[in-house]
Amino acid sequence: MTAEDSLTLQVVDAVAAAGVPYLLVGSFASNFHGIPRSTKDADIVIQWQGGVGVEFAARLGADFVLDPQLSFETVTGTFRQFIRHRKTPFKVELFLLSQDPHDQKRFSRRREESLFGRKVWLLTAEDVIISKLRWARSKDRDDVRNVLAVQRARLDWPYLETWCRQHGTLALLEEIRRTVPDI
Amino acid sequence: MSESALKETAAPYRTGESRSEFAPLIDELYREEVLGARRMTPEEKFLAGEDLFEYACSITMAGIQSQNPDWNADACRRELDRRLELGERLQRTAP
Repeated sequence: MTAEDSLTLQVVDAVAAAGVPYLLVGSFASNFHGIPRSTKDADIVIQWQGGVGVEFAARLGADFVLDPQLSFETVTGTFRQFIRHRKTPFKVELFLLSQDPHDQKRFSRRREESLFGRKVWLLTAEDVIISKLRWARSKDRDDVRNVLAVQRARLDWPYLETWCRQHGTLALLEEIRRTVPDI
Repeated sequence: MSESALKETAAPYRTGESRSEFAPLIDELYREEVLGARRMTPEEKFLAGEDLFEYACSITMAGIQSQNPDWNADACRRELDRRLELGERLQRTAP
């Protein structure tokens, strides 16, 4: 796959061209900081009032299908909008930046990475871990372990522990941390 | 692309009483995964998730077509979508 084939990059470019501040989160961020795995969707947080509309859909092109309706995401307490592709099952989900304190914080700490000749705004490794510990599904726990193993000493542990304590996930962080070998 | 690249996650590193006779091999495989990830370029890591998914879907589509030789491409794609939705439901109900 080349950068031109990546549906995620096509959506990221359209969001950036629309002047919408954004942050790439979810498995794309954990792949970036940890060990890559297959993923069927890309999650992008956008700082925007209401959902993206017709102009944005036109910018994406005819192969993309934008759900016109926002749906409420109960786990994160925010709104999301699906972007599907006619030729593949891969989809992109746009989440509106919520008022959740950590959602706000991780957006303010986002890192600009240079990829394929463009700038891409990505979640930091610490915020990947904090976010995935809140979800705590089987694959999230594996992602946390993998980011811990790859990043190790580079992580800002006081920052991690502060948020995990606030979210009640500190024990889970410690549980996973104990299983990470020293590599 | 190798078959091992298709797996959903890296081999889990296990400690404690549940360690089996395969533990040293599991640990070594995980060590290779971590070191391999550190060697990858940012661009490679960025594209990997979508690329692996595309490859995995192509294998599943081949399986669906093989099991249903009279189905056309649209019918195979609908079955692929159904299986992916099933996977999402299983993920939601996993312990």
